Amino acid sequence: MRNLFEHRSVDTAEDKLWRVPWLVLAVVSLLVAVGTTTLYSVAGGSMYPWAEPHALRFLALAGVVLGAALVPIRLWARLAYPLYAISLLLLALVPLVGIEALGARRWLGVAGVSMQPSEFMKVGLVLALARYYQWLPPEETSSPRRILVPLALVAAPVALTLTQPDLGTAMLLAAVGLCMMFLAGASWLYYAAGLLSAWAMMPVVWDRLRDYQKRRIEIFLDPDKDPLGAGYHITQSKIALGSGGSSGKGFMQGTQSQLDFLPEKQTDFIFTMFAEEWGFAGGVLILALYAVLLALLLAMALQASTRFGRLVIGGTAAMIFLYVFINVAMVTGLVPVVGVPLPFLSYGGTSMTTIMASLGLAMSVHVHRKERFEPGSLKALW
Amino acid sequence: MSWNWRRLVGLELENTFTRRALLLGAAQAGGLALLGGRLYQIQVLEAARYAPLADDNRIEVEILPPVRGRIMDRAGTVLAGNEESFYASLRYFRGSDLKQSLELMSHIVPLTDEQRMVYYDKARHQRAGEPLTIARDLTFEQVAAINLNAPQLPGVETGITRRRQYFQGLAAGHLVGHTGRVEQHALDDDPVLKVDGMRVGKAGAELGFDKRLSGQAGSRKFEVDARGRIIRVLEEMEPIAGRDLVLSVDLKLQAAVVDRLSRVGRGALVVLDVRTGEVMAMASIPTYDPAALVERTSAAAWRSVGRQSNGSLVNRAVSGLYPPGSTFKMVTGLAALEAGATHLKEQVECRGSYTLAGQTFRCWKRHGHGACDFHRALTESCDVYFYEMANRIGINAIAGMGRKLGLGQLYACGLPGQKRGLVPDADWKKLRFRSAWLGGETVLAGIGQGYVLTSPLQLAVMTARLATGLAVRPALQRDGTADIPAPQFMPLGIDERWLEAVRAGMIGVVNAEGGTGSNAYLPGGPAVAGKTGTAQVVSNSTRSEDGTGSNDGTRDHALFVSFFPASAPRYAISCVVENGGSGGATAAPVVRDVIELILKDDPALRPMPAVRTAGGRAEDAEPQGGGT
Repeated sequence: MRNLFEHRSVDTAEDKLWRVPWLVLAVVSLLVAVGTTTLYSVAGGSMYPWAEPHALRFLALAGVVLGAALVPIRLWARLAYPLYAISLLLLALVPLVGIEALGARRWLGVAGVSMQPSEFMKVGLVLALARYYQWLPPEETSSPRRILVPLALVAAPVALTLTQPDLGTAMLLAAVGLCMMFLAGASWLYYAAGLLSAWAMMPVVWDRLRDYQKRRIEIFLDPDKDPLGAGYHITQSKIALGSGGSSGKGFMQGTQSQLDFLPEKQTDFIFTMFAEEWGFAGGVLILALYAVLLALLLAMALQASTRFGRLVIGGTAAMIFLYVFINVAMVTGLVPVVGVPLPFLSYGGTSMTTIMASLGLAMSVHVHRKERFEPGSLKALW
Repeated sequence: MSWNWRRLVGLELENTFTRRALLLGAAQAGGLALLGGRLYQIQVLEAARYAPLADDNRIEVEILPPVRGRIMDRAGTVLAGNEESFYASLRYFRGSDLKQSLELMSHIVPLTDEQRMVYYDKARHQRAGEPLTIARDLTFEQVAAINLNAPQLPGVETGITRRRQYFQGLAAGHLVGHTGRVEQHALDDDPVLKVDGMRVGKAGAELGFDKRLSGQAGSRKFEVDARGRIIRVLEEMEPIAGRDLVLSVDLKLQAAVVDRLSRVGRGALVVLDVRTGEVMAMASIPTYDPAALVERTSAAAWRSVGRQSNGSLVNRAVSGLYPPGSTFKMVTGLAALEAGATHLKEQVECRGSYTLAGQTFRCWKRHGHGACDFHRALTESCDVYFYEMANRIGINAIAGMGRKLGLGQLYACGLPGQKRGLVPDADWKKLRFRSAWLGGETVLAGIGQGYVLTSPLQLAVMTARLATGLAVRPALQRDGTADIPAPQFMPLGIDERWLEAVRAGMIGVVNAEGGTGSNAYLPGGPAVAGKTGTAQVVSNSTRSEDGTGSNDGTRDHALFVSFFPASAPRYAISCVVENGGSGGATAAPVVRDVIELILKDDPALRPMPAVRTAGGRAEDAEPQGGGT
């Protein structure tokens, strides 16, 4: 416990500010700017109701991110388990006192403010897993006994979110967790075995899926099955993208989105909206920006000197990538429709808060990248 | 940076995290590349496929049906017009709550539960955005209620539709005709024909002048959003209203003629103005009321009219074919005179029958007429005289004269349903029966029996041509005013002496002692010329004794053709009374009464009002609707 604070940082806040990865913030700002512009177009050329709140929210969160980046990395490491525990507790409360909406219970209402504990859990899980591997001597990473603990850390929130039911978030949590375990060095064999058993489990899982989830998958496999029903979203999204062509219909000229044929265009389908108006060129530009962001995070991860730091950045990068990949794959009809927003572009406070918080942690790692605590130096699990 | 890379490659690759982080990074790069490829596929390779789909989504085309032209008589009395009525329609768009709309609608207009289910089903399954009519004949209050509640009635719209209105009932039935739905759509049909409520001409002038009356449909292209709300109109083409049609018919005379004829039975009567060929009246009994066939007149009601055994939908004046009987004798006589086969003074002895090649042909007068010259033969309608003439000149000469006088042909005057009839000749028989023409057949044809078939319209044309010596053609349309110069008909090229002889004979029919048409005589009026006809329906051997028996299908048809005033012909009339027996007894009195009607109130002498015809300009006369 004392080890954590053994080498107190002597850096001043100014020193730290110089080390903040401003390039990351610049790329993110660019993405948010694209999002704001698109939200302006979605509203038919108005800053309300989406564009201005989106931009203001980002500015506020950017301040929080900078604050988080300046918080000593050791403090974050120390807070990892408590944050995870609180998130898990809130998640467990959802089925009991949560607010039901659209056939699912995902929200907790506290004093008029509603929140989604599954979002906190995304940050909590990254922290907890990184914290665990910081404690674990690397040579024990693949020992069966040492695999079970992180598995349990992942499984608990996944199971809770599945019961809400929120398949999308559950899969995201599982994927982020597995990525981090992979980064930490868990043996390939576990993954191979996991894949095999997952394949074998498929029929069982299928049986347990809700009807609407099954339907989504069926419709995805054959969107023409119900072109005006559930397949409508995919079909209309593809029409919007295709009719946008290589150079797009022009800013505010997207007929599919402006005339409401496109669903959820300010949130989940914002990529389609953008790519209809800006074409293939615009779509690729956004993907390129994400690629740059991910590359920057990878470089930061490699420069981090602690296992905790590396895994925090790795987990954050994995999360951002998964968001982007699932969202864009969904709107282009590569995967079934699951409600996953596009980071920095989609309107909505919850997901932006989560991702910015993770980004803040990653930046804190980078700011404090020289601080070493040797593998296993945090002797106690707590 | 290079320092960094060397460090990464040289040293840190030993590190599991570095290796795996690079691996994951590569996987992420691969994932993003995959998405880029997918975008390329949709937005570049398949773009051409999606662009029209987006337009399909947003662009709706509404067909704007044109207003159908009115039909009027020569005095400007409206025979057919349009009545406007409100209707409500339902469109289905994704997300609109049809059930709620229908539920609310049922408070405004009566809709049974069953109707609601049917409409719900229909609306769900039709193309998105296509309107489905759910209520017609709405009152103004209902329309107001629907529009007031519009926000709660997504997809419900009200509109104005026009229904054909026929004002003159039975009097003008066959002339005006009626409109109806397009029963079978061709693939290349004008889209306007598919508009709900669109009607096309089905009979009479409605059909004959359909093109003129229907005008041209307009269209409106507009952009809609996903809920079907109209965002803006992209393109609009106003419909061009159909042009009004003024018929040559005089409604007053028409109504009187229909009334008079219907008192004697089935048949037809045609009154032509010999100078212009204009149809002044045209009656077909039984007649029908087109108003009974309007609009949703259910298919059942329609069938019941059509199924009636009296065939009231058939316009006998143009579609009814009858043997002309003795009215054909003018043709035979003229042909003989023209051929030089006889002269006016030659007498033929009639002993009541005529024998040719062992076959005996009887005259209607059992004991014979005695010696008949041309005039007497026509006046007293001696069959033997015309047997002899027919035998002398042969069938082809008779047929030639018949055609010259307008028989056996169709007239493009906007009267649909015309039948050509038959003026037989040797070639025709060879083609039809593959056998040679027989002398006995010529003899029969000479008195308008045998194969000869004519329509009342053709008989009227024939009479008009005899009266004028000109190739009069019938006309049904009269555009503009009386100032339009009468059409210049070509002379028939028949020697005026022979025509005068025929006219004199026809005057004798009505006015001379022994004339068969004395029933048409008008005391105190101008001289009337005419010719009776009594046409055998079946051959002698199969009918009742003398064809005058019961009024069944075997009784003779009674015919009378006439023109007057005899000295300066103005009108030609033909009349057929089916199974009416003797022409002189049954048809001649009808014609006499019609002439009396005309004399009392001559439509041609009445000042012609300048009839305003909406949408039409008198100068761009279009070719008349084909009645062929």
